Amino acid sequence: MSLPAFKLLRPRTTAEAVALLAQHAGNIRILAGGTDLLPSMQQKLFAPEYVLDIRRVRELSGIRPQPHGGVELGALTPLTDIEHSDVLRQHYPVLPEAAKTVASPVLRNMGTIGGNICLDTRCLWYNQSLQWRKSCAFCIKKDGDLCHVAPGGTRCWAAFSGDTPAALLCLDAEIEIASTSGLRCVKLADFYTGIGDDYRRLRPDELLTRVFLPASSAGYRGAYRKLRIRGSIDYPLAGVAVALKRSNGHIEDVRVGLTAVNPAPALVSGVTQLLAGRRMTEERAEAAGVLAAQTAKPLTTSALTPEYRREMIRVFTKQAIVSLATERKLG
Amino acid sequence: MTNDYSIIGKSIAMVDAAGKTTGSGKYADDLSLPGMLYGKILHSPHPHARIKSIDTSRAERLDGVIAVVTGKDAPNPFGILPVGHDEHALALDKVRYVGDNVACVAAVSETIAEKALELIDVDYEHLPASFDPEESMKAETNLIHDNKPNNMEKDYHHVFGDPDKAFAEADYIAEGRFLANEVTHAAMEPHCTLAAFELDPHTGTLGRLTVWSSTQVPYYLQHKLSLVLEMPMSQIRVIKPLVGGGFGGKSEVIPIEIIAAVAARAAQRPVKITYTREEVFWAHRGRPRTIVDLKTAVKNDGSITAVKARVVQDGGAYCSYGVVTILYSGALLGALYDIPNIQYDGYRVLTNKPACGAMRGHGTVNVRFAFESQLDEIAAKLKMDPAEIRRRNLLKPPCITINGLRVQSYGLPECIDQVVTRSRWNERKGKLPRGRGLGVACSHYVSGAANSIIRSDMPHSTVNIKIDRDGGVVIYTGASDIGQGSDTMVAQVAAETLGCALSRVKVVAADTDLTPIDIGSYSSRVTFMNGNATLRAAQQVKKQIAAAAAKKMNCAPEDIVFKNDRLERQGLCGDGRLARPGGAELRSESATVSGRVEGQILRGSLQQKRKDEGPKDSITFEEAVVAAIDFHGALSGTGSYTPPPEARGGKHKGAGVGPSPAYSYSAQVAEVSVDEDTGEVTVHKVWAAHDCGRALNPVSVEGQVIGSVWMGMGQALTEEMIWKDGLLMNPGLLEYRSPSSVDSPEVEAIIVESIDPEGPFGAKEASEGSLAATIPAIANAIYDAVGIRLHESPFTPERVLAALRAKRNAKPLNLTQGVDPTAPAKFREHGGELCFKGKGPERHEFDPARREAQLGGAD
Repeated sequence: MSLPAFKLLRPRTTAEAVALLAQHAGNIRILAGGTDLLPSMQQKLFAPEYVLDIRRVRELSGIRPQPHGGVELGALTPLTDIEHSDVLRQHYPVLPEAAKTVASPVLRNMGTIGGNICLDTRCLWYNQSLQWRKSCAFCIKKDGDLCHVAPGGTRCWAAFSGDTPAALLCLDAEIEIASTSGLRCVKLADFYTGIGDDYRRLRPDELLTRVFLPASSAGYRGAYRKLRIRGSIDYPLAGVAVALKRSNGHIEDVRVGLTAVNPAPALVSGVTQLLAGRRMTEERAEAAGVLAAQTAKPLTTSALTPEYRREMIRVFTKQAIVSLATERKLG
Repeated sequence: MTNDYSIIGKSIAMVDAAGKTTGSGKYADDLSLPGMLYGKILHSPHPHARIKSIDTSRAERLDGVIAVVTGKDAPNPFGILPVGHDEHALALDKVRYVGDNVACVAAVSETIAEKALELIDVDYEHLPASFDPEESMKAETNLIHDNKPNNMEKDYHHVFGDPDKAFAEADYIAEGRFLANEVTHAAMEPHCTLAAFELDPHTGTLGRLTVWSSTQVPYYLQHKLSLVLEMPMSQIRVIKPLVGGGFGGKSEVIPIEIIAAVAARAAQRPVKITYTREEVFWAHRGRPRTIVDLKTAVKNDGSITAVKARVVQDGGAYCSYGVVTILYSGALLGALYDIPNIQYDGYRVLTNKPACGAMRGHGTVNVRFAFESQLDEIAAKLKMDPAEIRRRNLLKPPCITINGLRVQSYGLPECIDQVVTRSRWNERKGKLPRGRGLGVACSHYVSGAANSIIRSDMPHSTVNIKIDRDGGVVIYTGASDIGQGSDTMVAQVAAETLGCALSRVKVVAADTDLTPIDIGSYSSRVTFMNGNATLRAAQQVKKQIAAAAAKKMNCAPEDIVFKNDRLERQGLCGDGRLARPGGAELRSESATVSGRVEGQILRGSLQQKRKDEGPKDSITFEEAVVAAIDFHGALSGTGSYTPPPEARGGKHKGAGVGPSPAYSYSAQVAEVSVDEDTGEVTVHKVWAAHDCGRALNPVSVEGQVIGSVWMGMGQALTEEMIWKDGLLMNPGLLEYRSPSSVDSPEVEAIIVESIDPEGPFGAKEASEGSLAATIPAIANAIYDAVGIRLHESPFTPERVLAALRAKRNAKPLNLTQGVDPTAPAKFREHGGELCFKGKGPERHEFDPARREAQLGGAD
């Protein structure tokens, strides 16, 4: 499969980058690490006339603790850097825990946090070559108007399959989006739509530039459990991120984020009310697991059965809460 | 037996290692020729359809397209087996699986060729398709091949001994259905072929054809090209460059190889085609998904008295090696254990899926999974140690099994002893913490098929050796090194035989113009057969050298020892003195005899040496070679190997498959843990003992054993081709999950040397036999760990968890789409639907209807 021909644009500043985006809006794709975009272009999922390579925009890279608390991450920060960052491991451990499970070491060197947030939703019926897709009816997400995983449905269920956004949701992260008309900040939770073929609120002329981790989310213990068949390379088939704060033997606060089981990463609602201010018990952890499983709506978008993936959401949630609430070491 | 070999038995680097590790080695896709075009193949999007018409005119008009070929450009059928000539380079009238080959474009770039594919108009008439093998066996209409009723490629029904009587008299009978899902080779290198015609110097028309191809079988390729292109074999030269793994996936003629030649002929320019990974999955030829209904009868002492196996293989749309696969599945029930009564019913079924073929452990793996699992069930029932029940069923070689297989060397008892000892089986089995367990299993494999695919009296391997005046040894061998190390093996065998330094040896391999015929790298035949041919060729040359050297050394040729790059008179110590009594006299005697070297003197140093020459007790290899060339003229030798008649099997129908001059043996213990909350299985360690006769290159043997274990573990735990109505849902290495390095357990490879009486230096095969034991060893370890018995591979976490939940009567969850992994009835398909209420591909921009509408608008 050849890479379709395109014109490569290589800006050096954010201003230059957003100007080019505005100029070619709708006919341009952004390349950061390229680990998601390039295979998809080979599969003819995208055939843009322009590719905007933002890797030279230095200001978009780096992990910067803020003077008044919180941490700012440049969108181009490689996942390897997130994984190994001391400041993140100390104050926001759930994020490096999730980052270190992404794909493989080589891909984490290339892949970026911004790219992981913007990752295209995935489906076995979509992430295939053009020749393959011609072998069945084209689906809603690309070229067609039906859904293979929910036959008769008119909505796309491709699963959001980034690992780090589940953790970022637990940290109540915000993202900064730039365009020629200026900057806007949104909660990451509001960035995703929950619709597989239109999964993020990002206009064609916009660029994700920064990620903010608020001071209020520092100091949570963190765990990320990922369902995968192999120990490396695989996208998550289900993922659970848990951030948990303890005080005096009680759970002060807990947040559970899910990925790879819905068209958007999602926080599990009701978990905080269930556990905050209480002592961890087996039954409460179990109940949190059940809540998480109810939030998950996996379909046959990937390997392993939906029922198994939902069950793992329950098991992982429970396991992660138990271990974070009971383990001695902080972090 | 004392081991005083100097080259073999030593762990040495592969002779082609530097090129592979530095990237300078050339694989087929690294090659290019001036004016070369890129070929792209149009594949069928339908599992079963009649081709009503193909219109290539729009593609041909595209700038940069030089030729478009279709089935009618090369209508002769071919296939690897003489009984299975059911393939065409490109479909003639029908397509039979999603991915079947329809047309090929040769263009100046890959991009243009891909674009041109979209401009080929094919009008299909859809036909009902068959996917499930047991359903397909019932088909009476819409057959996949008109001459195969019930879509039955071939069925065999063998009865050896009196199984019914044995079952009637059994103390215990185990019975069960096992399913093994489909796996493929996933070799690192995708298939690639470069084909180029020369112009005939007299007529200016297309003359000789040269094909560089990623193949395990250059001579079969030459033969099939000759059939399809209607050219004499002498006009076709096949060259095998470095090959990045085959595992059976390149052990037959793959359509790409013929298509490249057909396209090159039409374009009158060199054409190279490299498969995409997706195309590799369609070319497939992997291990068929298999239903094994197995029944074993035992006595209370654990001795097996009879086995009945009904095996159904989902062979895909073409024969490929299918007839051989289904025969191996039955034949290799024998030759591992002593089984006096065997009934075998094998069905090779056609379905509208990519063709299955040979894959590492050809035919034996899935049946061995069932057999070794069932043997474990029996051991549990009889409260017998699983290793012990295997020891109680050993063969007593030399012997001929009930199904006609001759067994000589038999290292299985020692293999079992080794893994039992090293894994501390007796202390630890059944005593590990909850969730952790040990399992044992055995397997075996042929060291080359004793009967070749094409019945003839031709030797299976022939090797030529030529030695130059400066002592350079050139070996011409047809053996195809596909990464397993056959080039290194022949170099070692020749150097050991000639007693010369390994650095003198150069191997010219797998070039049909240069090297004598060898039937290829499959059925683990190369070390045994090509090794023997090399040994014989080297012995022939050695004889010539010895004859000449004897004159120079004034002794009988048979008194000369070839060792360490020198020739010495027998009994001579390293310091030049004779060790035996009277040696000193001998030496002084010979010193009085004068001698002279005839002929041209090549080197100053040699010249210097010869000034004071006289009869010698010891001369260099180089001096000996010069003497021999002076004496005989050219110095060359030929050796060949034909399996002995007594190793060629019985007389029953299908008896040709299974016999081998020697069998390798393997025993393995796997240690696993099972997460009872998630069903995830982790393999911690595998002890793998392999009887390879003699390890010619121990590090290479260990590598092969580790690779086999690893590949078996892939089939056991993670690898599975997922189907939906004939559409492969995971045609890529992201979703088809071969284990990564993170998943690799520690593998302790243990070499057992049974010194086969007929193998070269006693060697047998090392590359395939270990694979089949890994899957049941893991299955048995899972049983030991958590008490569940999985009858369906791979043991994915959903299947393991489903079995665990069923065992503890947990609330039922439909984790496996209704297929019970401990008692599966049929293969499951991926969920979802291909189309919905008639909505189909017509909605797409490339759809003819839509395009016509657009064209209409433009008019």
